[in-house]
Amino acid sequence: MGHLKLQAVTKTFGNVEVIRATDLTIEEGEFVVFVGPSGCGKSTMLRMIAGLEEISSGTIAIDGRVVNDIAPVERGIAMVFQSYALYPHMTVFENIAFPLRVAKLAKGEVDQRVRRAAELLKLSDRLEYKPGELSGGQRQRVAIGRAIVREPSVFLFDEPLSNLDAALRSEMRVELSRLHASLGNTMIYVTHDQIEAMTMATKIVVLRAGRVEQVGSPLELFHKPANRFVAGFIGNPTMNFIAAEGISSSAEGATVRLSTGLELKLPVNGSIESGEALELGIRPDDLVLGGADAQIEMTPEVVERLGNQSVVHGITKTDQPLCAVIGGDRPISPGRPTRLGFDVAKAHLFRNDGTALERRVDLQSLVAD
Amino acid sequence: MAAIAPDAIKRQSFRLVMWLFTLLTIVPFALLLLTSLKSKQDLFRGAFALPAYPHFENYVSAWVDGHFGTYFWNSIIVVVPVVTCSIVLGLLTGFAFAFLSFPFKRSIFVILTIGMMVPTEAFIIPLYYEMRYLGLLNSYAAMILPQIAMSLPFATLFMAATMQQLPKDVMEAALLDGASRGLILRRVIVPLLKPAISSLGLFLFIWTWNEFLIPLILVNDDAFRTMPLGMLFFQGRYTVNTPVLTAGAVLVIAPIIVVYLIFQRKFIEGLTAGASK
Repeated sequence: MGHLKLQAVTKTFGNVEVIRATDLTIEEGEFVVFVGPSGCGKSTMLRMIAGLEEISSGTIAIDGRVVNDIAPVERGIAMVFQSYALYPHMTVFENIAFPLRVAKLAKGEVDQRVRRAAELLKLSDRLEYKPGELSGGQRQRVAIGRAIVREPSVFLFDEPLSNLDAALRSEMRVELSRLHASLGNTMIYVTHDQIEAMTMATKIVVLRAGRVEQVGSPLELFHKPANRFVAGFIGNPTMNFIAAEGISSSAEGATVRLSTGLELKLPVNGSIESGEALELGIRPDDLVLGGADAQIEMTPEVVERLGNQSVVHGITKTDQPLCAVIGGDRPISPGRPTRLGFDVAKAHLFRNDGTALERRVDLQSLVAD
Repeated sequence: MAAIAPDAIKRQSFRLVMWLFTLLTIVPFALLLLTSLKSKQDLFRGAFALPAYPHFENYVSAWVDGHFGTYFWNSIIVVVPVVTCSIVLGLLTGFAFAFLSFPFKRSIFVILTIGMMVPTEAFIIPLYYEMRYLGLLNSYAAMILPQIAMSLPFATLFMAATMQQLPKDVMEAALLDGASRGLILRRVIVPLLKPAISSLGLFLFIWTWNEFLIPLILVNDDAFRTMPLGMLFFQGRYTVNTPVLTAGAVLVIAPIIVVYLIFQRKFIEGLTAGASK
């Protein structure tokens, strides 16, 4: 239970199409994260699945049953809201028990299910408290508890951690991943935080302006982004993009000339034209101080020292902004030109329309023991 | 000599103005209370002169001889159903306007707003004939039914506006939990709206308690008269006995003050609801 299929689903508000025709399949037990910038339609997509928002066209099927015209409560889903959406006048017990009491379950059954959920979420000693007396993390756990007791086939999370502080957020990320492992239900999670997406998801759906840009595993999106948008959105700090010009392509890859004058042969699939406007992408953590296949000279402007690593922001000789992440113990200071290098196998190449030329990376080898 | 900071001058002037307003509000009430505890002789010694001892017999005289006992209970009999029914109906109609879609919603909303603007004087004559036709003149129903109808537009608008301010997520969570509309209203909305309901109750209590024209026109039997109307007739009988007259006035005002003090905290919460998270 927990299989979900969206077919040609759209949503329009007046004349504005906020979700363009979307096809998506979510398998049973997957932890799917919808990620994208604000206003990309990820929350609308979630609300359509929940039944809180009507779809304009297409079909949504949960466990093989089309649910377009089925009330939210009958869809077999439970949702956790960003604002927790707890009932402030009820105790933790009453909050978690509310959906069960509405469903008119026997008192003993209600009690048993609530206590089981409370134990799982470490809330057993808080059952008589009101939401106002709890911390943000505890409130969020109550909201999750209220979802768990309904035993849904699909859990929906709408930015559930965005109201928490950084430390609690990372703690809750781990707790949610554990919860997914122990329950095994399908979970759909909306966030704009790509760290949450990368750390928790088994599958990520990247959205932009109501359109699905790419669907894939976190590592697939990181190492083989389908386009420049996904490459820039996934990864922190964001990828560096350097203007380049196509020279030739061969079986070994594409040869390009960077705006800095450097000529490189990149191991990518697909052919390029001579003189074609391209962009080379290189992640800040793939830049190293000193020698490597390719070298770029950068003048650091700002050095953010994080201890274990330093994030260096600077410009190249051709005024190209560049960011590099280097070891925290490496000597670097603003204003002193530095030579950075990178392995061409780690570089990405994008056409003028933003589409990526596929990198030759074996994803299996990245996750192998 | 050090110059006084402009901020301090501003603060002091503000305080002075506030004190003036406070005195303007309190002094007439204090004077009324003081007069109600004086004898006729004390009164001739000046408005601010204190009596030798408090003359509570003025209140006994007003309550017994002035029939304020009857008027008081009549007012209670009218106010309680008016306030209760208006709140219950206001909750239902407010919920409809806040969350449901139905035909002519906007037009009905406008009609309700107009209903609030029409003064009682404009419809009191047709209302009189209507009540006479229904055989309700000189009854509690003659005062209760029209006042429920008069309170409903405000109760609806007030409740609809307050419900729209409730967090949408909480309503949606209840919907996802499988709660029906009635259950959402009863178990989620009403408990969250307690401060607003208290405020509405207080407004309606004051308006209904002070209503003058409807009992004056629709009731002429002394046994059905309410407090403000009783005060009018009492004034005619006791014009010369100012202390007893003021004791009657205090009896008319006192319940409003008591009710306000009871609901004060909830009322202020209601006024400031939504101002901060």
